[in-house]
Amino acid sequence: MGLSKAAAIVGAAESNEIGYPEVPKTSLDLHIEAIKNVSNQTGIPISAIEGIFSAGQSSEIAEHLGLHPKYIDTTSVGGCSFEIHVHHALLAIYAGVIDVALVTHGENGWSRRRIGAGGGGHYAGGGAGSPGTEMTMSYGFSGAPSNYSHAMVRHNHLYGTTPEDFAHVPVVTRDWATLNPRAVMSSKETHEFGGPITIDDVQNARMISWPLTMLHCCLVTDHGGAVLIAKPEIARSLKTNPVWIAGAGENMSHSNMLEMGDFTATSAFASSHTAYEMAGLGPEDMELALLYDSFSITPALTAEMVGLAPRGKGHLLWKEGHAAPGGRLPMNTNGGGLSFNHSGMYGMQLLVEAYRQLSGTAEDGLNGIKGKQTNARTCIVNGTGGSLSTTGTLVLVADD
Amino acid sequence: MSYNKPIPTPSPLTQPFYDGAKEGKLLLPRCQDCNRVHWYPRHICPFCHSVNIDWIEGSGEGRVHTFAVQHRAFGGWAEEVPFVTAYIDLNEGDRMVTVLRGVDANDPASIRIGAKVKVEFDQASEDIHIPFWRVVEE
Repeated sequence: MGLSKAAAIVGAAESNEIGYPEVPKTSLDLHIEAIKNVSNQTGIPISAIEGIFSAGQSSEIAEHLGLHPKYIDTTSVGGCSFEIHVHHALLAIYAGVIDVALVTHGENGWSRRRIGAGGGGHYAGGGAGSPGTEMTMSYGFSGAPSNYSHAMVRHNHLYGTTPEDFAHVPVVTRDWATLNPRAVMSSKETHEFGGPITIDDVQNARMISWPLTMLHCCLVTDHGGAVLIAKPEIARSLKTNPVWIAGAGENMSHSNMLEMGDFTATSAFASSHTAYEMAGLGPEDMELALLYDSFSITPALTAEMVGLAPRGKGHLLWKEGHAAPGGRLPMNTNGGGLSFNHSGMYGMQLLVEAYRQLSGTAEDGLNGIKGKQTNARTCIVNGTGGSLSTTGTLVLVADD
Repeated sequence: MSYNKPIPTPSPLTQPFYDGAKEGKLLLPRCQDCNRVHWYPRHICPFCHSVNIDWIEGSGEGRVHTFAVQHRAFGGWAEEVPFVTAYIDLNEGDRMVTVLRGVDANDPASIRIGAKVKVEFDQASEDIHIPFWRVVEE
């Protein structure tokens, strides 16, 4: 069967009250009413929705519905976004990734004049209508570190770990950075505080959000990166070596950390499962791991989720030296978000490093660094977004 | 002294919560079909997708699920550092977030996961009262 007619639109409905509602509506309210109505119309329960497509609000909508979708698309390119969503949904269904896709729209173009674009307020982000934000904004949180610290405290409580255990992550990752001349913290020449660090350095650094000191936290830098992906015929004809996308998966457990059921578990469990299954490979086959290290807790938790370590023991990969240069499972070989570069969204840095390590031809590009540090043939890449909220996992394989 | 920290703006969805808070009551959304309480307020039950949701008065009691100590903050909160933030398991189920009271931010080892907490409200403006949780005796 070809792509044509690989999927059909099976229902379409609108919010209960559209136009000029008597009582102002939030965008979220308009979304949810329409979703409930199309579910009733088709008899497809909301719980059967596997992919969410909206112009920018997909993670909040999924969380509001209590769903953990395995396909998340927030393409927002103007009024045509929804036709593009249908195209993307067609591809996802044709490929067998999902069976049921939701394309949803909620936009209070009129009500926002009374209650704001987000829905109703004057605070950052445009207002109420995001009840999750509304119910967390009053408590002095100041970005990602102020939230991730709660996950480490919970991990300490459940598994008897300590903040010192996690300090091995930045220490080992800094060792990798010393091998990468483009890493911000490579040496005293690249940065005043660059070069090797100790556990004491990490633990005695300025406290940001206890138990996370500054050295448990990633850098804030500039970065640009780009990746080209092509079909096999093109991939084999170029001067560069291909790195094959053997497996891919995505998932989300929540948007707001308030909705994170288990603070020591992320959706990387589900996204890596999908990726491994597609690849026909498992964690025992991975020779390199690039796990988003926004904070020391992040890659340690992720290692547990993607099967590289048992629950409660992810930190041991660093503490026992396995993840270090010369170890059995090199990890974050560029120096990571902790010591190489972290611009806010570090996922591209992961892709560039994965290509560098697996292709052997990255030196030809501007970002290429001579001297790839591993001879790995397989690599798991896991990006983590939000507050341990969303994950995308890739299983990449070097060319034969 | 006027309240100098972020004050939420209610939407039609959340207004009943603030009406309750003004009277010192912790109102929680509960699904009439599956009976489960959820937090934050929803247009639809995140457990069974019913839209029949009403508000019940909660016990105002819970337990500390996890916490952290904030040493860096912005706006009015910057004057308060260090302070303890926490996620609270409600007796009725699901979870709220708070700045935790009745604890020593300079001695995090003395703060206990599982500690009993009770809600109290701060008046932030004429109509908005914000819930905070305090560790209390067992």
